[in-house]
Amino acid sequence: MIKRTLFFGNPAYLSTKNEQLVVSFPDDQPEKTVPVEDIGMMVLEHPQLTLTNGLMGKLVNNKVAIVSCNGQHLPDGILLPMHGHTEQTERIRHQLNASQPLKKNLWQQTVTAKIKNQAALLADRETPVQRLNHLAKSVQSGDTGNNEAQAAAYYWQHIFDLPGFNREQKGMPPNNLLNYGYAILRAIIARALVSSGLLPQVGIWHRNKYNAYCLADDIMEPYRPFVDMVVRHIVETEDTYEELNIHLKKELLSIPALDVRIDGQKSPLMVAASRTTNSLFECFAGISRKIIYPEYG
Amino acid sequence: MDERFYSRLNQYRSLWVLVFFDLPTDTKKDRKIASGFRKKLLDDGFSMFQFSIYMRFCASRENADVHIKRVKVNLPPKGKVGIMCITDKQFGMMELFYGTKLAEKETPHQQLELF
Repeated sequence: MIKRTLFFGNPAYLSTKNEQLVVSFPDDQPEKTVPVEDIGMMVLEHPQLTLTNGLMGKLVNNKVAIVSCNGQHLPDGILLPMHGHTEQTERIRHQLNASQPLKKNLWQQTVTAKIKNQAALLADRETPVQRLNHLAKSVQSGDTGNNEAQAAAYYWQHIFDLPGFNREQKGMPPNNLLNYGYAILRAIIARALVSSGLLPQVGIWHRNKYNAYCLADDIMEPYRPFVDMVVRHIVETEDTYEELNIHLKKELLSIPALDVRIDGQKSPLMVAASRTTNSLFECFAGISRKIIYPEYG
Repeated sequence: MDERFYSRLNQYRSLWVLVFFDLPTDTKKDRKIASGFRKKLLDDGFSMFQFSIYMRFCASRENADVHIKRVKVNLPPKGKVGIMCITDKQFGMMELFYGTKLAEKETPHQQLELF
């Protein structure tokens, strides 16, 4: 079942009672409760939020991804459990022992899936995508031809109807929406990886020594077009999106509940993420050779 | 947003599980068992609707099955317990009163909630 996403943008005191999260407000509003086991993700945004350690313990035990935000309201931290899976140590050993050819093959599958999804998203608006289809077909092991970057260059030119748009971390809007959406997606994928007993730090392609979520960044690639779809929808329907207001955040926080098609079935994105990470483990363990990724459309 | 991406969360699929019980409270031991049963319901995310009627919102049939099973595992040795599921649609059609005044119903949990 799809777990719930809670967003805290107002001062509150969060504690626990009867295996539930209790939200108390500073004014006279009545308390609210949420069963801890129903929660999948919590976004903490207001500086005046207080959490008890007892609550954090319960959240972590239930594998809730806790995302904390900085003064600019952008997500900048994820708290995940140390023990995500009963066979964790064995699973991590498989991950660390994965051979270089296997990792290159997995990266090839990932890039192919990503470009296919990008192409499908552009095709929704009747943009010609022969170039992307060709790039998706010709990804080599380890993506030595760098098809990913070639595809991205074409993709970002055509996705929005905005003159002069560039995908950059600190670029013009809707880059701000994309950053927020990707941070949410990253937390979902990191949570799924941990619950499949994998280390989100050790990637198959990303290996920047300053990045704490290399594997999450690898695995989220084919999922990015789903975020782009939500952002494109905002760009097309909203008059202004320079500032991330609560209304826009609400739309972006619906990402975990999006229905995606994976392995022939429809499934909420958050559930699909767990299927992907589990198939990834099977590849590491030598049980399977294919990562299962969702297909756009 | 495209309609097709939201087909999953609909009011006919989400359920409310209701648990009704009459438990003996004659001896100290009976009372302990009764309050233990009540506490387990609370731990499982049920909330009190009326004395000895508890309810819980479940986003899917599968999820409801999990919680019904937990109630069954924790059944007290004596006393009468009823478990019932109704759809969110049916729950929404319930009329509730305080005296003669119409009262607010509990709303289903949203997948995304803003506090």
